[in-house]
Amino acid sequence: VLILVRSPLPRLRALLQRCWGRLERGLWPGALGGQSPPWGPVLAVQGPALVPQGINDAGESSAAAPSLLESVLWMAAPKQRRTIEMNRSRRRHPSKLIEMKRNIDVCPECGNLKQKHVLCGYCYAKVKEETRLVRMEIYKKEGGPFNAPTVETVVLYEGEKPTEKDAGKRIIERARRRPSWFVQN
Amino acid sequence: SGAAWARGLLSWARPERWLASGSLFPLSCIHTSTSLQKTGKWEKKNRIVYPPQLPGEPRRPAEIYHCRREIKYSKDKMWYLAKLIKGMSIDQALAQLEFSDKKGAKVIKEVLLEAQEMAVRKHNVEFKSNLHIAESLTGRGRYVKRVRCHGKGMFGIMKISRCHYFVKLVEGPPPPPEPPRTGFDQAKEYVQQLRNRTLVHTL
Repeated sequence: VLILVRSPLPRLRALLQRCWGRLERGLWPGALGGQSPPWGPVLAVQGPALVPQGINDAGESSAAAPSLLESVLWMAAPKQRRTIEMNRSRRRHPSKLIEMKRNIDVCPECGNLKQKHVLCGYCYAKVKEETRLVRMEIYKKEGGPFNAPTVETVVLYEGEKPTEKDAGKRIIERARRRPSWFVQN
Repeated sequence: SGAAWARGLLSWARPERWLASGSLFPLSCIHTSTSLQKTGKWEKKNRIVYPPQLPGEPRRPAEIYHCRREIKYSKDKMWYLAKLIKGMSIDQALAQLEFSDKKGAKVIKEVLLEAQEMAVRKHNVEFKSNLHIAESLTGRGRYVKRVRCHGKGMFGIMKISRCHYFVKLVEGPPPPPEPPRTGFDQAKEYVQQLRNRTLVHTL
């Protein structure tokens, strides 16, 4: 069952009806696109000869938008599709290929590969791991941040005793054999 | 051809084929290349078996084919790495890839190590260093299109590209590189072409 409900605002309805009537009769140009004449500033001039100039000035002063569209014609754009042969010659040019590296050597300590001007990655990782464990021991001894003592630190491994040189220094014990690369003193 | 088509239809509609699988809708009748994992041609190249060699023949070097599929990398970028290691010995190739900054270098290094392992275990290669890279290729994997958001509500469609990498290792030292073509070689070829000219359709 379809029920028509009348709007409770008769005045609003009357206003809308009047607006719609105006639109249909064409008394409200500009609401529907393309039917109204273009609006622009109009020069009120006394004299007959200035009318054509007035139209030109009005056209130029109101036509600020077309200059952007005109500049599009001067944008750089490819004229022809680049053939696959041209593309391949560019992509495979010797300057674009990866160069072979001639600075790779063998690390004398561990036997892994290393670059000549860079530390050996394996040895560096080994030292980094040991340093991390020493730092953990230090943290356990200190118990928190900002507790670093004002004396030097000495790391001693299994079976090592502090000498006279390590008299006033802080001693960190590590429960393992001394690594060959960590020279004492 | 009409009879063959009808026979083909009937052969598909044979009830014993349907009952053999034991279900109402057997998937074994439907074959689609995209859904099923079918082995590629490169993987099948490892399965070829040559007849035994005669006593006088030179020893055929072992060939190992290996590949990796659907690597998340661009095939054009991967091609530069493949071109770098083409024709190198495997140790040299591994050294170059280890110190390359490209993302594909890590993947290719893994593939080469896998292939080396396979060669020693299954393909009767004696020394793992006595291998060289005969072929190294890249192929296009499956691309996926996604939306890329720009400003002002505009969007573009980007493609997420993947690639395959194929490598063929051959036993033995790498072949010596070809000497570059000199002007003298080009001149010799030109003179040979001139000498090969004959008169056609004559006595």
